[in-house]
Amino acid sequence: MSTSTAELSMTHVHAVVEEVWTTFLGGGDPLYEIAPPTDRDPAEQGSVWDAAITVTGAWQAAIVICLPDGVADAVTRAMLGFAPEDHLAPEDLIDALGELVNVIGGNIKSLMPGPSKLSLPLVARGPISPSTSLVEACRLDLGWGPHSLRVVVSVPADQDRDQQAEEA
Amino acid sequence: MHALIIDDSRTMRTILRRIVTELGYEVTEAGNGQEALDALETGIDVDLCLIDWNMPLMDGYTFVTRVRAEPRWRSMTLMMVTTESEHGQIVRALAAGAHEYVIKPFTPEAIVEKLELLGLAAREVPA
Repeated sequence: MSTSTAELSMTHVHAVVEEVWTTFLGGGDPLYEIAPPTDRDPAEQGSVWDAAITVTGAWQAAIVICLPDGVADAVTRAMLGFAPEDHLAPEDLIDALGELVNVIGGNIKSLMPGPSKLSLPLVARGPISPSTSLVEACRLDLGWGPHSLRVVVSVPADQDRDQQAEEA
Repeated sequence: MHALIIDDSRTMRTILRRIVTELGYEVTEAGNGQEALDALETGIDVDLCLIDWNMPLMDGYTFVTRVRAEPRWRSMTLMMVTTESEHGQIVRALAAGAHEYVIKPFTPEAIVEKLELLGLAAREVPA
């Protein structure tokens, strides 16, 4: 399925994140949408991990996932098959969260006009800010058990203006 | 049976390794296409390659073209396992010699089903 830039919505992004989440984490707690502004801002829950990837080509974007420590830890353990008592090294988190954003980014890219190319992922402890030439096109706040996470898709300002013109 | 898993993500290699070892495969891992070619050059006898597309140093598409150019590796089954889902890329990979194409995320069942279709996994028959 390919859609126009104007049609990239929270619904599309939510569907992609949910599919990836369910596949990687199996039958655990479901993701649910929470309305911003929220008192469950990931950044308010202590330390966070950000995982980012960029798309270049016919459609351009930066996709950033922000996960509090507890979520990052649980996702990494699930993906690597680690038991609760197993020690997680920062390298484990970086690799697993990089793959998570790679798969989410690739599936969002597949909804948009191509051809376009994914970068290699970037993962950091703390916030990753997209280039200042990008503007936020979609922000999704999701609850997962007592935790929350955030997915932000940013696009070049001129691409965003085109989208708004199409919507008008 | 021997599988070569080629992905720059150790996490993805771990996920794939769990699936194919359940099927009885011995596994070798490589972090990119060049590492995989180096492994093949050592003479290991590989039946199946599971190949990511986007990797540093050498991507999966280049690996497929290099393997297909070598008659000694012609019997290996090549399966792309990647987030790249544009129709043009799928066609390109299959035209270059990949036998199958799986888009991430995938369930273990999806991989096993593809391998069964290729005759590389035997479904257990109840006694």
